[in-house]
Amino acid sequence: MKTFLIAGFAALMGTSALADDIGVSMAKFDDNFLTVLRNGMIEQAKGMEGVNLQVEDAQNDVAKQLDQINNFIAAGVKAIIVNPVDTSATQAMSDAAAKANIPLVYVNRQPINVDTLPDNQAFVASNEQESGTLETKEVCRLLKDAGKTEAGAYVIMGELSNQAAVQRTQDIMDVIGGPDCGVKINILDKQTSNWNRDEAQNLMTNWLSTGTKFDAVIANNDESAIGAIQAMKAAGTDMKAVVVGGVDATQDALAAMQAGDLDVTVFQDAAGQGAGALDAALKLAKGEKVDHKVYIPFQLVTPANVADFLKKN
Amino acid sequence: MSEAISTGGALERQARRPRAAEWNVLMALVGITAIFEVLGWILYGQSFVWNAQRLYIIILQVSIVGIIAVGVTQVILTGGIDLSSGSIVGATAMIAMSFAQAGMRNGQDFTQAVFWNQGWVDLPVIVPLVVALACGLLAGVVNGALIAYTKIPPFIATLGMMVSARGVANWWTKGQPVSNPTEAYTFFGNGLSGYMPVVTFLVLAALFQLALTYTKYGKHTYAIGSNAEAARISGINVERHLVLVYAIAGVLAAIAAVVVTSKNLTAQASMGVMYELDAIAMAVIGGISLSGGRGSIIGTVLGALIFGVIISGFTFLKIDAFYQQMIKGVIIVGAVILDQARQRKRGRG
Repeated sequence: MKTFLIAGFAALMGTSALADDIGVSMAKFDDNFLTVLRNGMIEQAKGMEGVNLQVEDAQNDVAKQLDQINNFIAAGVKAIIVNPVDTSATQAMSDAAAKANIPLVYVNRQPINVDTLPDNQAFVASNEQESGTLETKEVCRLLKDAGKTEAGAYVIMGELSNQAAVQRTQDIMDVIGGPDCGVKINILDKQTSNWNRDEAQNLMTNWLSTGTKFDAVIANNDESAIGAIQAMKAAGTDMKAVVVGGVDATQDALAAMQAGDLDVTVFQDAAGQGAGALDAALKLAKGEKVDHKVYIPFQLVTPANVADFLKKN
Repeated sequence: MSEAISTGGALERQARRPRAAEWNVLMALVGITAIFEVLGWILYGQSFVWNAQRLYIIILQVSIVGIIAVGVTQVILTGGIDLSSGSIVGATAMIAMSFAQAGMRNGQDFTQAVFWNQGWVDLPVIVPLVVALACGLLAGVVNGALIAYTKIPPFIATLGMMVSARGVANWWTKGQPVSNPTEAYTFFGNGLSGYMPVVTFLVLAALFQLALTYTKYGKHTYAIGSNAEAARISGINVERHLVLVYAIAGVLAAIAAVVVTSKNLTAQASMGVMYELDAIAMAVIGGISLSGGRGSIIGTVLGALIFGVIISGFTFLKIDAFYQQMIKGVIIVGAVILDQARQRKRGRG
């Protein structure tokens, strides 16, 4: 019995000594997107020999998160992955990890000190600039395929104070103003729906009431695109004649795409970000070099590949 | 200090009032519409008003907040305020919609349904409706009881409800949207060829306009708002009446939640944010005095229409989104300044 215990204990010690222990502190567990990200990381670890994840929930508490990181450091993990609660509070985390010379990887939320990260720290996320660009390029392509040389488009923006809304709207303007579009798109009007389906619905009906001919609706998010679709369907617009684009690839958006109403959306790969963060952490733990910013690409979702995304987010 | 004589004064004034406050609001509505009409012809060679689809959206886009405003108006008439209606919409939307989900979407099992595991999908439409009304009633009664019996100011009581109810909305599905309602449920927001929200708003407005004008309920509401002490002395059960008024406001917010979720085919935890302020603004623009006892539902409906005309007018003229918010604020404050001036003038005359 005693030998058995000792053997068991030795085996336990053995694995933990050989394993790459990675400490993970998530901002919160009860967020859908972050849950997919977390599971992506766990799935990735399962497929690897000797990688041992310890995942903690910071419950959206900055102080708790810093405590968790300090506990990871004290436990002597090989690397730490942090999904920051507050992106402006990351300096202290970077300092603590740097002092103990333990690699640190930020995931999904860009830390405020991203440009001054030490060599063994990195940031893994998706490049926000890609989403609006992918969306608009696909809208261009669809309009071109429909044989148009000139087209009118309405733009539905998110909350005007939100960085993603500002960036995505800028991307739309950049793409249609750039050489890649191939179709001359005139922006008929751009207004905000505050990310909100009901406001987008009202906005679209107001636009429809002007009787202006249009070929596309480019929205900053899927909810707004769906609102516009509902308004157009209520007004009897031929949905085949209008290209509608959104961003997020929400379940409702994928359903709208399957129903043939939504033409374009963009998927932010949460699981890919989780897996990417783990890869970066393991590389850093082995002493390999990793870029300070690792971007997991956004993915374009169209009716052709929508089925692949139904179970993803 | 002149409170004691003010009820008598008000009645007396009402009797020889040259023109109802609602007339001023109606004039403002006509005036603002005329401005857009003229600008429309000048800038785009197009009529603003002579357009069936535009008239429809002008009223449709304020119908949901308008339903709330009908309740908020009655609260303000008692001298109170209700900051919680937007959050009640959010919480009620999430909870009620969970009982309104269909079991299939695009020909596949809709396993994301909140109560999929319990098998509570494709329930009869009465279920989400009753759940919604119960949520609104509960929130309203809590508001009213807090105000009537603990004597804390309505601003604080309903502020607490505003925060807590939003918490409920977020907690219910941990922020996940609730979508894919049954065909029957979509009637409240899309039925009667899309006019159902408008019909609901106008029917409820008419109902409560009549109740306020012709029933004991209405007389008590005005009496409490004019002078709660005098109302109490004259035998009105002020506490019980306040609970009733806030309960009605809660139920109306719940009805708005049903309409907005049905119209949008989804419930989201952030639904109804700022609705309470838009509803209060509609009432104030409609000439409802924030000190209570003065105004009518007709005024609020006109205030709502002014809101609708402004939103549609701005989009019609393609005014930049940034300026829209700024101008909206100016109009709300401007309406109150006009109202104050109107009151002073009437006070002197």
